[in-house]
Amino acid sequence: MAPRIDVSNVSKSFPGVKALDNVSMVVDPGEIRALLGENGAGKSTLGKILAGVYSRDQGKVAIDGTEIGNLDEKAAGQLGIGIVHQEGSLIPHLSVAENIFAGRQPTRWPGRIDVRAMRARAGEYITQLGVAIDPALKVSALSPAQAQIVEIAKALSRELRVLILDEPTAALTLTETEKLFEVVRRLAANGVSIIYVSHRLAEIFALCDSVTVLKDGRLAGTRRVAETSTDDLIRLMVGRDVHLARAPSAGRIGDIVLEAEDVSAPPLVRSASVTVRAGEIVCLAGLIGSGRSEFCEAIFGARRKRGGTVRIGGRALHPTGPWDGKAAGIGMVPEDRKVSGLFLGMNIVNNVAATVLGKVSSGVEFSNAKAEALAKGFVNELRIATPSVHQIVGNLSGGNQQKVLLAKWLAMEPRLLIVDEPTRGVDVGARSEIYRLLRALADRGVALLVVSSDLPEVLALADRIVVMAEGRTVGELPGEGASEEQVLRLATQYTASVADVRSEPTMAGE
Amino acid sequence: MATEITQPVAENGGHAREALFVRVVRRLADSRELTLFVLVVALALAMSVLYPNNFPTASNMRAVLLNLAPVGILVCGMMLLMIGGTFDLSIGSILAFSGVWAAVVSGWWGWPPEIGILVGILVGALCGLVNGLIVTRIGINALIATLGTLTIYRSLTYVTAGTGVTPIGDAFAAYGRAADPILRIQSPFWAMLVLVLVGSWLVARTRFFRQFYFIGGNPRAAQLSGIRVDRLVLIGFVIMGSLAGLAGVLGAARLNSAVVNAGVGIELKVITATVLGGASLKGGEGTILGGILGVLFIALIENAMIINAVGVFWQGLVVGLVLLFAVSLDRFKTTGRA
Repeated sequence: MAPRIDVSNVSKSFPGVKALDNVSMVVDPGEIRALLGENGAGKSTLGKILAGVYSRDQGKVAIDGTEIGNLDEKAAGQLGIGIVHQEGSLIPHLSVAENIFAGRQPTRWPGRIDVRAMRARAGEYITQLGVAIDPALKVSALSPAQAQIVEIAKALSRELRVLILDEPTAALTLTETEKLFEVVRRLAANGVSIIYVSHRLAEIFALCDSVTVLKDGRLAGTRRVAETSTDDLIRLMVGRDVHLARAPSAGRIGDIVLEAEDVSAPPLVRSASVTVRAGEIVCLAGLIGSGRSEFCEAIFGARRKRGGTVRIGGRALHPTGPWDGKAAGIGMVPEDRKVSGLFLGMNIVNNVAATVLGKVSSGVEFSNAKAEALAKGFVNELRIATPSVHQIVGNLSGGNQQKVLLAKWLAMEPRLLIVDEPTRGVDVGARSEIYRLLRALADRGVALLVVSSDLPEVLALADRIVVMAEGRTVGELPGEGASEEQVLRLATQYTASVADVRSEPTMAGE
Repeated sequence: MATEITQPVAENGGHAREALFVRVVRRLADSRELTLFVLVVALALAMSVLYPNNFPTASNMRAVLLNLAPVGILVCGMMLLMIGGTFDLSIGSILAFSGVWAAVVSGWWGWPPEIGILVGILVGALCGLVNGLIVTRIGINALIATLGTLTIYRSLTYVTAGTGVTPIGDAFAAYGRAADPILRIQSPFWAMLVLVLVGSWLVARTRFFRQFYFIGGNPRAAQLSGIRVDRLVLIGFVIMGSLAGLAGVLGAARLNSAVVNAGVGIELKVITATVLGGASLKGGEGTILGGILGVLFIALIENAMIINAVGVFWQGLVVGLVLLFAVSLDRFKTTGRA
């Protein structure tokens, strides 16, 4: 029997870069194949060539023995190849059902969209994923996790032969990830071949049958998952050994920097308390929608708090906006670097200068020389891979963008640095560098409050773990020796359904 | 982990073998100011060669520079707003309203001309403040908000002075007619020149105005960086209003007449010059220098049309085509957004 997917010697160039170089891969029906590699290794490019998003320059692709030419996305869809994109392809102002059936809504004579049937069928697909989202809701009202689920439902709603999932779990919690895996396994059992693009090794071991590793656009190797190990895969990916092990802390914990008590910011934060000392990394763990980010925003001043007290170094803080948090010495690296963190159209110099306009000025004049010197310092210190400090930040890779975002907040020399999801969409190599950086900051006496949905990350980073559920801080664990199970048990002791909690990204301030 | 690999769509690198023409286009596209400067010089040279008796004369130059003064004053404020990602359509109405109030105070009530001028500028600032409050506090978008106030302020102008105030008074008029002894250009031009020079420095160099680039670049990131977005946008509108007030007062003084129809349609001319000068509707880009070069270029085209007697009907066609051409040059930028 012919393999489901037969990719042979495919190459693809973009202006100035060879994204794929002579890559071959064979996938059987019903096989779950991981595509692994660092950011920029070409794994998404390969997925997109299969799905007809990009055309290949050289090489052959055959589906079930039939060679296919260069397709567009629609033709690929008709062949039964579906793709879930890394970054949203949903239209925010349309309903969930409209998005799932975009362009092929069920109609009644004489072309009127049968809204009821469409919603019912959309509901079925979503239920298949094991969650409850009202198909009539607008996508703009969904949390990132819910939106991702809708994306997946959109790909599910076709007669599938091949499903390509590009980093589908980036915004998902563990429970949701498990549900997604169940669906993927069910699809595979029905004979659908899955291409699973990811850099989360744990997921690959949990889900996939085999894994193809790419490095700098070239094939680094293909392994059966049963016959390989984490270290083996990491060596293939980065060509060097990387450890996600705990960075040892210098252990000099100082005075209390942040004391937040009984903070409430309805509807998502009900009663949350946390204490962070100088030199300490405290991780806020919990499910998506448990109010962790919102709690941090309330501390920083980006969200109005209704009750409770926040003290920085013993002095009460009543922020009217982020500027007050900043003035008190708080830095906050937000969750979504593209939407609320970076100025993507501006260069590194200006991005770094944004929080410290006073520091890079002489009198009232903005000093380009000072700003450049500051940016150069951070490019060296954080090892930001860029041709120059004048590079537009939008052109950098995810990991380097994240470092620029960190630099922006390190520039103001915060006493307390809040980091929301420090390594979202960042590859393994850059990830351990960011951990090292955060630890080095703590050793310099900065108090760190880190929000993370990635449990291995929490365990690798935290001196203490504070768990939130349903807008409340529900427990605390020491970072050393805690297990994922302990954290999860705390986080889920209140049954939290993601579908119940709708995130409302509003900002406080004038 | 090299940059280029992750963002294959970025158009950097790999154009070593490009034709000379493409390289020239790219260089021009990288700096809108340079593009405009080349165009302005080329146009001026061509006109000087073709019409040596009409174009490069002192009186023609004086007329061109004096006529572009109001648009030049307004473009400073509009550029600031557009850098911050917003704009103001009501400036033509503010201009007329301010001029009329200066004339009422100075002409009808007989107060000193200085008070009249001050009142005119304050009325402009107040109108700008109202615009800014509507946009930042109520949260109505700038297009709708200033479209609304455009008709409101114009209506208030009619209510205030019916058919206008003519004449206002010689002492008042002197402020708009005073000319320097050497070049003999009247005060509106000099006011514009000072504003452009000071404004260029402020916007390009000071840290206060640098914040507008961040706001236009990404308002949410700016807010979370501790920049007081709403307050600054409000200040931007007040500056815009004050400049419109000043333009209105100077215009009224030069004519010794406050016309209720002054400045009708000027907002589109100003926005055209601003976009031509390098501003983007998305915000975060542009310089005052670019804006004033845009004004100069449009003024020269208008002048050329009048001199070679093609007629005013064709002006709009040419200005529109140049605008579209300049903006499409952006596609050749080497440092594109990802």
